[in-house]
Order: sequence, then C-alpha cells, then structure tokens
Amino acid sequence: MWLFNSIFGRLFEFIFFPFINMSPWIGMIFISFLTALLMLFIFRFTSNQQGIRQVKKKIIAHLLELRLFKDSLSITLKAQGNILRYNLKYIGYSAKPMLVLIIPIFLILVQLNLWFGYQDLAPGQKAILKVKMEEGHDLFDINIAIEPSSALNIETSPLRIEEEREINWRFLVKEKGVHDITFIINGQRFTKKIAAAQNPLSKISQSRVQRNFIDELFNPGEAPLPGDIPLKTIEVTYPPQRMNLLGWHIHWLIVYFALSIIFGFSFKGIFKVEI
Amino acid sequence: MKPIKRREFIKLGLASGSLLALGSSSDLVTKVTGKRETHKKLIILGLDGMDPHLLQIWMKEGKLPHFKRLWNQGSFLPLRSSIPAQSPVAWSNFITGTDPGGHAIFDFIHRDPERYFPVFSASETSEATKTISFGNLVLPLSGGDVKNLLKGKAFWQILEDYDIPATIFKMPSNYPPVPTKQRTLSGMGTPDILGTYGTCNYYTSEFTEIKEDIGGANIHEVYVMDNQVESKLPGPVNSFKKDRPDSYINFKVFIDPVNPVAKIVIQDQEFILQEGEWSNWKKVRFNMIPTRSVNGICNFFLKQVRPEFKLYVSPVNIDPANACLPISTPKNYSEELVEKFGSFYTKGLPADFKALDHGILDDGEFLDQDDIVLRERIKMFDYELERFDSGILFYYLSSTDQRQHMFWRFIDKKCPSYDAKLAPKYGNAIENIYIEADKLLAKAMEKADKDTILIVMSDHGFTSFRRQFNLNTWLKESGYHSLINKWKQGENIVFTNTNWSKTKAYALGLNSLYINQKDREAEGIVKPGAEKETLVREIAQKLENFKDPDTGERPVLRAYVTKDVFHGPYINKAPEIIVGYNSGYRGSWGTPLGRIPKKIVEDNTEKWSGDHCVSPEVTPGIFLSNQSAKIKSPALYDVTATIFKVFRINQPEGIRGKPIF
Repeated sequence: MWLFNSIFGRLFEFIFFPFINMSPWIGMIFISFLTALLMLFIFRFTSNQQGIRQVKKKIIAHLLELRLFKDSLSITLKAQGNILRYNLKYIGYSAKPMLVLIIPIFLILVQLNLWFGYQDLAPGQKAILKVKMEEGHDLFDINIAIEPSSALNIETSPLRIEEEREINWRFLVKEKGVHDITFIINGQRFTKKIAAAQNPLSKISQSRVQRNFIDELFNPGEAPLPGDIPLKTIEVTYPPQRMNLLGWHIHWLIVYFALSIIFGFSFKGIFKVEI
Repeated sequence: MKPIKRREFIKLGLASGSLLALGSSSDLVTKVTGKRETHKKLIILGLDGMDPHLLQIWMKEGKLPHFKRLWNQGSFLPLRSSIPAQSPVAWSNFITGTDPGGHAIFDFIHRDPERYFPVFSASETSEATKTISFGNLVLPLSGGDVKNLLKGKAFWQILEDYDIPATIFKMPSNYPPVPTKQRTLSGMGTPDILGTYGTCNYYTSEFTEIKEDIGGANIHEVYVMDNQVESKLPGPVNSFKKDRPDSYINFKVFIDPVNPVAKIVIQDQEFILQEGEWSNWKKVRFNMIPTRSVNGICNFFLKQVRPEFKLYVSPVNIDPANACLPISTPKNYSEELVEKFGSFYTKGLPADFKALDHGILDDGEFLDQDDIVLRERIKMFDYELERFDSGILFYYLSSTDQRQHMFWRFIDKKCPSYDAKLAPKYGNAIENIYIEADKLLAKAMEKADKDTILIVMSDHGFTSFRRQFNLNTWLKESGYHSLINKWKQGENIVFTNTNWSKTKAYALGLNSLYINQKDREAEGIVKPGAEKETLVREIAQKLENFKDPDTGERPVLRAYVTKDVFHGPYINKAPEIIVGYNSGYRGSWGTPLGRIPKKIVEDNTEKWSGDHCVSPEVTPGIFLSNQSAKIKSPALYDVTATIFKVFRINQPEGIRGKPIF
C-alpha cells in the first residue's frame, strides 16, 4: 500500500508544485479543473452516451406533453409516469460511470485532505502530540522517551489516558520547516513529521499509522509504522483549515465539489459529453 | 412583595442579553472614510484610577521617569473627579463635557421607582417584542435591543461632525458604543455573554461556597472518576425555548494518574494544561436552535490537579471575532484587532476581582490574569500608536484601577485585610502597574512630534476602604426607614422587609440616596416641594454629622444635595443626595442591593480594599500634559473643552468645561 501511496502522493506533489507559494484557492481551482476533466473523460467512455441522449429527449418530450395537455387528466398522468420511468432509466445509465468514478475520486479526496484539510503550525504555536498504543500494552509499563529537538519543545509531562489508550504531550514549535520528532519506545526509534509554517499550500500528514490496509488508505501522508510494535498511531492535532471566501470560512470539500461540478458542466460541450 | 433571591435578581436584571444577542442584526461593515488631516494631533492616555499622591511619591523616587519628564515639559495637576467619584460617572463627565445632570449617569446602579429595584445605569437590554411560537419554540420576528443610557453627545461624535478622526479605545460607559463612524471599542460596562459584569466558573472536588454579596461566580462540584472529570460550561438563557432553559456546553477533563497535567476536551477543541497554567483564549459556541448559536471566548486555568481538582474558567466574554452584541464601531474594528492579535478580553472589567475575593484565584494568579490583560492591551496600544497620524487617539488602561482595588491592603497596614506575610510579596503590585504605565507613556512621548499634544489623565484617585457604611441601616436607625419585621433585619435584599408606608428615604447604588417621593415611587409618602426639600437638607446634615461609634471619625465627608451640584436637563432623574464618603469609608457591600444589616458601620474584610466611591475631594484624578495649564484646578469636563479647543471647534452648547490650556 505504501508504494501506491508514495507514487500517488508524488503525483499530487508534482501537480501542486507550481502553486505552493500561491493562495490555496489557485491550487484548489486547478485540481477541481483537472478533476472535472477526469470525470468527463470517465463519464464519456463508461456511460451509454446514446442512451442518455435519448432518455433526456424523452423526458423533455413528456414535459412538453404535460404543458400541452394539462386539461386532460389521463394524458397528464401518463406523461408523469413516463417522466418517472425515463428518470429511473437515466439514473441507471449514470450508475455505471458513477461506480467507476468512486474509486479515483476517493483516492483524490484522501490526497486533497493532506493539502487542504489542516493548517500547518507556526513558530510559537502549540499543539498536541498523541501516541496511541495497541490493546494489551500497559501505558505505565512502556518505556517511552522523546528525543530533544531544537525545532520543537515538549512542554508538558506525559498525559496518559487509559480509556483512549493514549499518551499525549503538548509541544511548542520553535522553528519553521518540516521537522522529525523521534520517539524511543522500548529501545526502538520511530519518527513523525511535523509541519511548521511552510508555504501557503503545503502537505500536512496528521497521522502516521501502523501497517494496515484501511488505516494506510486513509492516512497516506507518511510511511507506515511496522506492524509488530505496540504503537498504533502517532498523531499531531493540527488546526483544521477552511477556505476563506470573502470572510466565509468554507470546508474545502464543499469548494472542491462545487468547482468540479461547475467546470464539468462548463466543459461538457467542448468534450461532447452528454451528462 | 415576594422575596427575590440574589441569583434571581441577577437573572432578571441582566441575563436578558441572550435573546438580544441572537436577534441582533448584523450591520453592514462601516468604513472610516473622509477624514481630514489635522494640523494638531492629540494623544490621551486614560489611566483609570491613577492616584496623584502615589504618582508624586514614585516620581520623586525616580521610578516613573517619563511621568516626571512630562511634568517638567508641561503640567501636572490633580483633576477634579465627578460626584460621586465612580468610574462610569466620571468617564461620562469626560465623554460629554457635562456633569451627571447632563449625561444622566449618577451611579453604577440606578433604581426603578416602581419596584424599588436596582437596575444598571449604563445600558438597558430588551428582548424582541414580536415573536411567534411553535410548540416549545419561540422565534423572534424582530431583533432585541441594547441601549446605551448615556445622554448627550460624545466628544468623538462632535469631532466626527467636523471630519476629525478619532480612535477611542475601551472608553468606559461606552457600551454599546454610541453611533459613529469613528473607530471605537467599548469598555467598562461591556457585559460577559451571560449579560452580567463577569461570572466565572469554578470546578472543584473540594467543598466551596460563594459569598452572596459579591457574587460573580458559579461553583460546580465535580467528582474525579477514572481520572476523568465531566461537567458543563453554562451559557446564556435560551430564549428560543418557552421554558427558557440555561444553555450549556458539556466538556471533559482527562487527568494523568501521576503527573500534574490534564487535557480538556470541549466541543471540537482539545488542549493540555500543566498545573498552574492558563490556556489562552478558547472559542465556545452555545447552540440555541439548530440555526442559531451564541459565540464566546474563555480562558481556562488549571489551578490544581490533586489532591483536590480545581479548574477555573474565566467569564465567557463576547467573541470579538464574531460579536453577538455590539462592542465596536465600525462593527469590523474588533474583528480587525482579532486578525492582528488574536482574541482579547471584551468584558468591561477584565481581571476577575470577584474570583480573587472568593478565594478562587489567589493574589499571584489574579496578577497573572491581569498581566494577560495588560499584554493584550499593550500590543493593541502599539498598533494604534503606530498608525496614528491625525485627530485624536484615546487609549484606556483598566489595570491601574483593578490592581489598586485589590492590592491596597498590602500598602495600608490599617486595612482589616492587611496580610503581613504576603505584603512583602505583593506590596509592589500597585507600584509595578504605575511603572508599566510609565513605559506606555514613554512610547506615546516618543511618538509625539511638535504638533502632538499629549495628555495623561485619570478619572479619580484612590483611598483605603477600611470601614463599610450601611446607609440603609443608618436611615433606619435615624427614623427615615421602617421595617415590617424588625427581627428579620439583615436577612433580606431589595427591601423585601421594608414598610414603605412609613419609609421616607432609601439607598440603592454605591452613593445614592433617594426620597420615597409621592407620585414618583410606587408607595411614596413624601410630598414634593417644601416637605421634601426640608427632609433632604435634614438628612444631608445628619449624615455629615454622624460619627463612627468605633473610631470617632465621620464616615460621610459631604452629603451632596444633587439639585445644588448638578446642572443640565436630567437633574430630576438624579438621587436626591449623593453620599460623599470620607477617606477610609465607603458604602457597604449590601447597600447597592438594598440590604439593611444590624450594624451601621462595619469593617471591610474583603480583599477589595482600595476604593474611590467617596467624596471627589478625597480622590482627585491626575492631569499631565506636555502643555502648560492655565487653570489651577481642572475638572474632567475641562479636558473635554480642551479637546474642542485643540481642534478649533466652537464649544458646543451645554458643555460645562473650560479649556485647560
């Protein structure tokens, strides 16, 4: 899984590279445009374009029938029945491309969450570092230490929460950059990346997870931890990011879908795609 | 009359802000435009409560070099305060250039003559008048209203008429801010999100009681189970529901079994505090109905983890980034400050003196909190000073006042709450804030060019508050106030034990004495005219002659008959007498609430040990400037007149003052 995540992640790094010093909106517009093209492409080659065209015409015809024969109850009811029938047929024609689209869109969304989901930390800012342990390991028996770093300052003693199987620390960012924080657990060393004041658009990995297909799928930002250790995840609580539109703070997912749909409808004519 | 408990009183009188908060419409952002550049510029530092005697002592000792330099450049004079020398009254004198007869603020607390009930003097909130109900839901069809009760025109409104720009930072008695396009931020009088002057929350596993007369705190008894604490943060009354329940936010605290550290999880936030640490501002949102919520900010302080768990949460302040009540003009000014500096205290008196008085915070913790306030204010001062290039900049500091109130007991050995053990540690708390003010002045002096006039002023000075005078008890003992059940004396508040048919006078507020006047008060018996006039003079004289049975001193230096000392259209709204206490004395803690304890004069054992709600002769303020003063004994309204002179504006009608230079 890591190989796939690594390649796919590199692809997004390549796509966003020209935009990292610009407002996140530019990167968002660009990726929404690319997504729209991808959706149009998939839709065109996986759907029954002829069938969709015909079904849409039929729906329009029956809508006209409704207006023309509005005084005739039997024709009106029949037209409504036909509209419903062709709508279901239209949904049926759309289902196949939608199913095909789900997989790439899901993978794109997971990657985009790394770029637009969180704000990186600024020097002087504080956050929580969480280590989640596997079941069956006593939080008080584990010998855990954090290597001192010039870029980060661990400010509190460890806080152990048995219910959550977690050990938490508060840390302070002292320097800009992407820093590694190193844990020594029962003699083994593990690192986690911490992003601090990089660029306006930067990749932020919130969690480094243990080797596991599902967890890795949802957390593709860093190489997985080995599967045979007591450590389940290492997480940093970055503040969530919102896209600022004239003072409105909007979740990136809404912006992304809205822009992709707008681009999709704008370019469907050029690419001769029937949606 | 049905007895009213203190909590009900607070709820009734103050917490109506919730509906108002939710119903308030969001004004369009107003831009400050069309300002002309002025030849002369004016910087005024308003240092609340700075005392001329202390200032002089520390100037002589060389601790305040910039104050000394300013004095040498121009002038240093005591500034006559208002009658009474209370901040809302005094700053209103300055704002309007009149006395209380002209601006109608006579005391912190006024009274409703229909109910003999205390009401806040500075602002009034009203709920939506038109609503529609669906089951338990009440939806407002119109917004509520919050009104500033200050009458007259503020000087920055007059300057605006002449296109002269003004930035007025945290001016007391300016809540809600008076309508203007000038940049203003509301100051003293701005409530917390509950609509009170500050109610903190204290979560503890230790048994704790609050003192009724001081109030201002919610104590939550909590249990530590499995190293976790669960509790609620109370919010405003939910007036979208018919039964008007209190809103709240659940939160959880995780405690390490060994280390003195805890994690607090509230809404979508989590943060870790080591014992003795403050959290910085956290945003909280009280959901009323799915589409409406009230936003606030609060600061958590993990006082102790074990053996007893103790967590203090500051009063929930109005969020300046998303203000549910008006706190600035233009509306986006507070948002601009948040963008620059993050959240900041919006509540009128920011440092939580009530928490200190209740023992929730100790002296050091209170000073830490006041330091947070001070740091916030200094950052904003630097910002405003940096961009100031025309007109007037007024900057206000509250810490000078609050520290003197709470730490006077360490510089006055005769104070009943003097603590010899703690005096060496905290005895310099007041001196330190004067030194901080000196540093602010240094920055202002550096900024001031040859065309800049610099004024440093305070609304009043300070004196010791050793003995508290129960004015209503004195009235009762002197035969002017009658009780229904004499054996119940001292048990009730807001006159629930008063026999009004035999009562001639009563006291509400810190310095106000009212006559129970026929056709004005609900059960008035004293006829206006000669009967009232004679009674007022008689009470005033007797008050001035009264001697404290324990010390032989006169608690009342002067009893001011308001019609003799006030000028303007609102004299008829004034109390008949303003009691000007002597040095060392003040109205008791129960007087503002209409309490009638058994003793006339008692020791003040509270930590609130310095005060100024006395005769203005006892606590004059300060006036310093880089200009030479032409009058010897200026008053607050003279500073207002000076502003108009600096900008060559004809003095508006009704202004009492004369230019100082």
